[in-house]
Amino acid sequence: MSAAGLPQKPLQRMTPALRALVFLPAVLVLMPLGLFALGVKIPIAAIIFLLLFGLMLTGMPVSISLGLTVLAFLFLMTTVPITSVALKLFTGIEKFEIMAIPFFILAGNFLTHGGVARRMIDFATACVGHWHGGLALAGVMACALFAAVSGSSPATVVAIGSIILPAMVKQGFPKRFGAGVITTSGALGILIPPSIVMVMYSVATNTSVGQLFIAGIIPGLVLATMLGLTTWWRARKSNYPRLPKATWGERVRTFRQSLWGLLLILVVIGGIYSGLFTPTEAAAMSAVYAFVVAVFVYKDMPLRKVPKVLLDSANMSAMLLYIITNAVMFSFLITNEQIPQAMAAWMLDRGLGVVSFLLVVNILLLLAGNVMEPSSIVLIMAPILFPIAMKLGIDPVHFGIMMTVNMEVGMCHPPVGLNLYVASGITKMGITELTIAVWPWLLTMLVFLAIVTYWPELSLALPRALGMMR
Amino acid sequence: MLKFLDHLEEWLIATLMGTATFIIFVAVVHRYAAGLAIPYVQDWLLGINVSWVQELCIYMFIWMAKFGAAYGVRTGIHVGVDVLINALPPPARRMYVLFGLFSGAVFTAVVGTLGANYVWVIGHTDQVSADLEMPLWLVYLCIPIGSYLMCFRFLQVAWTFNATGELPRHDASFVEGVEKTALPEQPDDLHPAPIVATIVAKAAKAAKAAKGSP
Repeated sequence: MSAAGLPQKPLQRMTPALRALVFLPAVLVLMPLGLFALGVKIPIAAIIFLLLFGLMLTGMPVSISLGLTVLAFLFLMTTVPITSVALKLFTGIEKFEIMAIPFFILAGNFLTHGGVARRMIDFATACVGHWHGGLALAGVMACALFAAVSGSSPATVVAIGSIILPAMVKQGFPKRFGAGVITTSGALGILIPPSIVMVMYSVATNTSVGQLFIAGIIPGLVLATMLGLTTWWRARKSNYPRLPKATWGERVRTFRQSLWGLLLILVVIGGIYSGLFTPTEAAAMSAVYAFVVAVFVYKDMPLRKVPKVLLDSANMSAMLLYIITNAVMFSFLITNEQIPQAMAAWMLDRGLGVVSFLLVVNILLLLAGNVMEPSSIVLIMAPILFPIAMKLGIDPVHFGIMMTVNMEVGMCHPPVGLNLYVASGITKMGITELTIAVWPWLLTMLVFLAIVTYWPELSLALPRALGMMR
Repeated sequence: MLKFLDHLEEWLIATLMGTATFIIFVAVVHRYAAGLAIPYVQDWLLGINVSWVQELCIYMFIWMAKFGAAYGVRTGIHVGVDVLINALPPPARRMYVLFGLFSGAVFTAVVGTLGANYVWVIGHTDQVSADLEMPLWLVYLCIPIGSYLMCFRFLQVAWTFNATGELPRHDASFVEGVEKTALPEQPDDLHPAPIVATIVAKAAKAAKAAKGSP
């Protein structure tokens, strides 16, 4: 946990541009406050967003910048009684739906312990290893399978990548190729249910988690297929190694070995769909199930490691819950100031239709994906964009799936891409090199994003067919 | 003393996490087991009331969130937007990191005080929670305690950073039990990069001083 292993970036020379940037956050923070103090009339919305933007750019935790923005607003410029908003700070996360997040994180952490992922890779290899792309294609499939039991993208990259990447290099794949495949396929983690980002979206917009999960299935499978095709095509062109065709006996054997992990898909999706569990209960069940599988069935994890896993999960969950707490307060503030309504009215006045609105949203989110991680983006942007989308008659579930896919893209490109970062840890490749490695698949994902954005039926068909929504 | 606090914190959040998972599991199993027509057992199960479980789970997670957030400051897990400041030269970055840490301390102190005030007020009423009928002030006690603890952690990290230029660093790619090699080579820009230069400079200065004196 120390800085010891971190090589210093080459010392930058102070270019004029950089010198200007040094003061940017300070200016952004002080300007709105100063203008307000001087009594200059600027819209409240501008003050709020400039302040938030400035505070975030100083590099402080997102949760703290959200909280400070709200506090500054409360103490300086509103007549809303402080106690009523402060109450939000305490009661903002008192929803049982939100508690799915810690449970899914816990389940994911139990599953990442080698065993489940390794058996899924074996199964995937037996299924598709003999086609062009061999192990790489198996990597895509294994990522899709693992995504169906895990709700996080970086976790998927770690679980699958740390096993399959060394194997690929050993087989003669260029390191770049493998890194590109796994970094992008890992992003399936948040699209194929369960998904922590979708829970965040549902928290921010009051959309049903169950509907979102079911709606994510078909887009997830389509994206997996598209990534697989890209892999297949590139591998065929470069004539990368293939594996000997596995016998049916072998397929059945590997399937039975990975069955314990695959059954978890049934627990989560089946449980929620059939109404046996609420999403939060399904998450808790999957955490207990994953614990039993990791410790007693596969025996990959000794019992004494359980407290450490609990602690790590609690650490991660608490961080996310803390962002949620402050984001709830922030969204209460902007709703109270009628900012989304004003923006919606402005957009409708300009005659902005669904098509151009979705384009703007996508660009906005992609830009945000350059500097923030998905949970923060969803929690900050969804409350602002959602009311406008509703005014335009966009389906809330479709909008959620689109945001999720957009977040996936954001995780795979620099400067801030958690998947890239994690993959760089596994492969010991620099971020720049990885960025080049990723681009064919990233392009595929962008095409897919366009499809998801302008073809709502892709997301909505399954939940409708199952009678979960109209 | 500090060590004890550290352990208490870790022990508390890990226990809350584990217990909450377990009680929800038990409640779900109970719901379906009570539907099975097993003589005597069914009557016994139906006699147990588990309606309070959801509420307890929520309160446990709120406690976990407050103390976990404080623990998170110590482990450096809180994510921010650090693209800009990580590109800045170390002296400027140092200022912004310190500013960020102090802002965190100020925010948590304010929230802690608001929370303490709130707890004080509802402590003088006899409000209880809906299902558990637990006094509400006890539930919300985690807000002042957790927030002040977090404030303390921010100051602690700021102190260390000021002295050594180091920040606690959370490694997102580390997974228990999966073989991992080196740390990634670059900062991930979701967390501020530590200032190694100051350490190097200090070491050089110390070496120079040692050379100078006989």
